[in-house]
Amino acid sequence: MMISTSEATQNKLTPAEQARREGLMARKPYIAAKLAAISAMEERGEISPIIRLEKSYLCNFQCTHCSAEYYMDRHKKKVFKIADARRKIDLSDIRELSRQADELGLARFVITGGEPLVMKDFDEVVEAIDPEKHYVIADTNGWFLDDKRARHLKSIGVEKVQLSLDSFIEQDHDSFRNKPGSYKRVMRAIDASLDAGLNLLLSTVLVKGRAKTEEFLNLCKFATEKCVGLYVSYAKPTGSCSDHPEFVIDKEDADILRELEKDYNVFTHMTPTYGSFKGCITVKGIITVTSTFEVTPCPYIDFSLGNLRETSLKEVLARGMRNPWLGPYRPDCLIGEDQKFIKIHMEKTKGVTHLPVPWGQGFSDADSLFD
Amino acid sequence: MTPNGLVLEECDLAEKPLPLFDEHGRCIPSKPTAAVHSNTRRYFAIVQPEIEYGDIYKRIKKHLGVSGDITASEFERRAEVILQKLQNDPRTKKITDGVRIPFILPKATYADYGDALERIYLKAVRDSFNNKFPQYDFVNHHKDGLAGKLSIAPESRHARLVEAMQKDQAVGYFFPCLTEYSVPAAIEQAEALPDQFLLAGGFDTCAAMIATPDLLLRTDGYPPLLWLGALQGEKEQVGYHFEAYGYNLTFNRKPHFNQVAEYWCAGLVVLG
Repeated sequence: MMISTSEATQNKLTPAEQARREGLMARKPYIAAKLAAISAMEERGEISPIIRLEKSYLCNFQCTHCSAEYYMDRHKKKVFKIADARRKIDLSDIRELSRQADELGLARFVITGGEPLVMKDFDEVVEAIDPEKHYVIADTNGWFLDDKRARHLKSIGVEKVQLSLDSFIEQDHDSFRNKPGSYKRVMRAIDASLDAGLNLLLSTVLVKGRAKTEEFLNLCKFATEKCVGLYVSYAKPTGSCSDHPEFVIDKEDADILRELEKDYNVFTHMTPTYGSFKGCITVKGIITVTSTFEVTPCPYIDFSLGNLRETSLKEVLARGMRNPWLGPYRPDCLIGEDQKFIKIHMEKTKGVTHLPVPWGQGFSDADSLFD
Repeated sequence: MTPNGLVLEECDLAEKPLPLFDEHGRCIPSKPTAAVHSNTRRYFAIVQPEIEYGDIYKRIKKHLGVSGDITASEFERRAEVILQKLQNDPRTKKITDGVRIPFILPKATYADYGDALERIYLKAVRDSFNNKFPQYDFVNHHKDGLAGKLSIAPESRHARLVEAMQKDQAVGYFFPCLTEYSVPAAIEQAEALPDQFLLAGGFDTCAAMIATPDLLLRTDGYPPLLWLGALQGEKEQVGYHFEAYGYNLTFNRKPHFNQVAEYWCAGLVVLG
């Protein structure tokens, strides 16, 4: 739901966002009411994170910066010569997650992975989440998103698509994604999504120095002209990106991006939107539920806050909020900018075969900011 | 000297007054009941801006309209006396090793604190910031007005600053040294300090921002969020603050829920 322009930070709705909200209120009033209640929840000290659901890690891509690569079976087989025997989530687990989330007033699910559109049970997953109770978003590389698929997604209750576009230069995008032809597929998917009446968000990874490039500026202009939000994720030293510490941004990159927010429809997870000033959104604005029902505080932190088979979602969120790294308000990206936390994370995840690191071994109630 | 030199040394140590501030000028928490970090890794830090009394005098005079008899040299003299007195006391000496901003406030009486803060002081902060950084923005995110919404926390001693302003122009030093204190802990701490220390509120924090518009502008790291700690908002556990956003400066309100964060800071003020 984030459309972030300078108007958005001034708490004013853009006409496009106003129309989207009114449309949702007419079609799905229960969800619209939950979304409208978020700012009041925040005022009371309650949280309403988006739930990223990673039911499957199957993927037709192998991207240079993938945060999920180390969760994938192909990685475990290739690097550790093992298979993952842990119990995986099924549709009844997702129904239970949906129920608990609804009870807490949570309103948004992102189906991600892996590539969600290769999942054979994608439609059943949407149904299990319940698109009449939750705002459902699909996070996709766009390879399979043609007109027919886009219309189908809309018909089963998906509201929004988040498409990855990592360079406005075709060769660079295809190279970064290790998939020739993927840029053209993204462009096709943009038009297909808009034509199908899906809300659309472009997402892109910011590597060090990219904020200053003409390519990035052109991408910002493109998204703005299309009236589509461009969500920028900082490259983090996790997953496949662990091999590319040179990708990690510095303060200058982050500040250049903050300046671009004034003129373009571009934002990060820390950009103030419509009166919400969360800073780093770990737990407060996002959680990830992995294929083994573990909950992590953001897509890039591989420490669990608990397993939903053993611990309720409510308690898992409470653990996150009382953790000194995750709960307090902060303006920077914990895993993308805080070198001390990055070091702790790298040390504790190094060589771990089964991510995320369980509760008590990565994060725990004994955590401290100090040595 | 007694036959037991060691005992004498221990006695000397016991009588030595304990410093109230650490080597970075941070106020050492004296075990307040409210939430505070006893240690800090100084991840969010303000860098000492250049202090040029003449420039600060001109800025405050231009944007806040301080009038009357005080001259630039008188301002500097009075401000330096504040520092000197703090340096002469071993308990308070180290506060002068931390970030410090001299300021002047006009002689004024206001019927409503929030109204004056919004109408006069935030406008002056904006003008000072825009004057120094025309390429960046000062944004007041709080659109619902401040009139009738702010009161002074009784234990903060901030009322003394307001009283001083009613009598004459006030000269002071602002020290953003209550880093990693919850708002209630900052109030408790101010009350536990020697009598000359006041918890900063709106007028004094704004004066420091007008004096040094780059106070929260950092290119190599993140500065803390600066609470107007002595002011109570219209709701319990809600406060008002300045915060950098990239190269820009913002003013906003936020529920703080009496919690502590590594990112939070409040200021102390000493008048002279």
